[in-house]
Amino acid sequence: MTLVGCAGPDPASAYLEDPEALARGGSVFTGTCSGYCHGVNVTIADVPNLFDCTWIHGGSNRDIYNTIANGVPGSRMVAFGGRLPDGDEDIWKIIAFLKSEASGC
Amino acid sequence: MAFRPSTYAFLSLFIVACADGGAPSPASEEEVEGEAGPSSGQMHWTNDRPIGLGMSGVDAAMLESGLEDPTRWLLYGGNYANYRHSPIQRLTPEAVPNLKLAWSFPTGTDRQFEVSPVVYDGIMYISSSYNRLFALDAATGELFWRYDHQQPDDLLVCCGPVNRGVAIAGDAVLMATLDARLIAFHRLSGEILWDTAIIDYREGYAATAAPLIVGDLAIIGIAGGEFGIRGFFDAYDVATGERVWRHYTVPAAGEPGVETWAGESYLTGGAPTWNAGAYDPETHTLFWTTGNPAPDWNGDEREGDNLYADAVIALDPDTGERKWFFQFTPHDVWDYDGNTQVFLIDMMRNGREVKALVQANRNGYFYILDRTDGRFISATAYVQTNWATIAEDGRPIVNPEALPSEDPSVRVCPSHLGGMNGAWTGAYNPGLGLAYIPAVESCELYRKGIVAFIPGQMFLGGGYELIDVEAERSFGVLAAIDVRTGETRWRYEDPIPLMAGTLSTEGGVVFTGTQSGFALAFNAETGEEVWRHRLGGGVRSQPIAYEADGRVFVAIGAGNGTFLESTGAPDILPEGGQLFVFELP
Repeated sequence: MTLVGCAGPDPASAYLEDPEALARGGSVFTGTCSGYCHGVNVTIADVPNLFDCTWIHGGSNRDIYNTIANGVPGSRMVAFGGRLPDGDEDIWKIIAFLKSEASGC
Repeated sequence: MAFRPSTYAFLSLFIVACADGGAPSPASEEEVEGEAGPSSGQMHWTNDRPIGLGMSGVDAAMLESGLEDPTRWLLYGGNYANYRHSPIQRLTPEAVPNLKLAWSFPTGTDRQFEVSPVVYDGIMYISSSYNRLFALDAATGELFWRYDHQQPDDLLVCCGPVNRGVAIAGDAVLMATLDARLIAFHRLSGEILWDTAIIDYREGYAATAAPLIVGDLAIIGIAGGEFGIRGFFDAYDVATGERVWRHYTVPAAGEPGVETWAGESYLTGGAPTWNAGAYDPETHTLFWTTGNPAPDWNGDEREGDNLYADAVIALDPDTGERKWFFQFTPHDVWDYDGNTQVFLIDMMRNGREVKALVQANRNGYFYILDRTDGRFISATAYVQTNWATIAEDGRPIVNPEALPSEDPSVRVCPSHLGGMNGAWTGAYNPGLGLAYIPAVESCELYRKGIVAFIPGQMFLGGGYELIDVEAERSFGVLAAIDVRTGETRWRYEDPIPLMAGTLSTEGGVVFTGTQSGFALAFNAETGEEVWRHRLGGGVRSQPIAYEADGRVFVAIGAGNGTFLESTGAPDILPEGGQLFVFELP
């Protein structure tokens, strides 16, 4: 959580130039966030599309970090903070992957 | 008039006093008076006037007689062997084009309307998405009583808030709920007789199937294979709601079969049981089927066959003790739940009678087993299938290129929806020896990734890329399959995957519906389309036929659902469940 309050570049920005980090983020996103939830290029009813440049809860990397780490109360989006294999690192790599895959923003 | 919303407060107190395992929260007066949405409050209208034809309660002999009496439709599968074959001879290819709409009824809920109605004593019972339950006059559609289940805000359902129907036993009508309860209602008054919690839904469990009544027991399975649950199915005393036995479908530590799960992967093994089974009175054997191991698309951490996922299990219904099992898809990594409908069919093969169990599996193969011992007899592809071939012992020989990967490029068939799927039913015409199987023809890319198990969160390990849907190459089929050979005799193709159930009639007709909103009927022998009627909403229900007041009716529900985009179905069609009941002039 301390990272959220920090000023300066966030880790996701750096990972945008790191193929291994992007691959890791893509794999964790695919395995944990896609399928019947956010999908892999699939539109599922009631679930936001994460590749259309529209961010309901804020589109900065830190906003997205907060959404993933803390979840969205009242929705199916649970808090993933501290629950992914590599912790915060995986969240930042997911964010980098999402930003790298989004088109037309 | 029968509606008595003001009695609800009294009834709530009654429930609290007699419930087993807790009771729903009482509704406020405002909720009782208003037409609330599906999850905004429990409402209950009971009935205190004489209804029905004066019949006594449903007994074991009635259930064993299946559909012999055309005024009844008592079981989800029509009979214990799941034929869904009406004895009504007047429903012929020549007569069916004359069907006229007799009445219709709205559920007031959205998402899939997957019900197979139950009819007894001149009364029809239908359940809707979000667990509304209605008792209707089977001839006129007049509403006698109604129950709207109060759903919690934090339901965990993977694939839509569905319910496929109720069971009936004695004077009780039983409905399983999305928050994993089993509730019994008096069939005439609608009052709650008992209300039992199956398990804590917050762990990822939900109940969507129609219970199956065997003797004094109501048997009900559970969904949750996408949440890393430990699968099971239960038997409850119909009279009291007390649980008699539970059969786990994933072994515990130290139990046989746990060696088929690497490490501690059995703890989150899935193997749900979300469809109704079958029962053979002759051998007093219950057959129940199981779904996918978890996580769905990444098997790296659960090396092994993953027993008893994707299997059919034969049991003693009195004790829940297993007699035998057969696993269709060992170490499934495609989400090929093994829980499509099973037919119990006696057939002649190579000059001897075989007591067979037949299933169009979601993995694309049509299986014939010996139901006395689970011995594999044959498997024949009934849709495009390239994930595996089947060896002589019934074990798949997996195509290594079909395994999910992090960068998939091979088009794998069938899709994660099937083939056939446990969300809808087939039918069997014993005179023609043909099973009617609605199915999806679609292939896709299977992608896997790193997955973390978080209780209450989907535990999938990957996803799918709908390349056939995007290319408009996916479509629906209704296949008429010779059950002795597995060969397809005729086949109807629809532009959109078929996801509705079927009804067969002694008069030689097969009914189903399309996601584009039509009810369809075919000549059962030739496949010629004989009737097409626009219902408006996409059809996901299980049609039935029955007689009431001396007249012949066909009932079929329409209403859209989740995953429309996954199937290429038209999303322009509006939501809203509606039952349509047609009559022969």
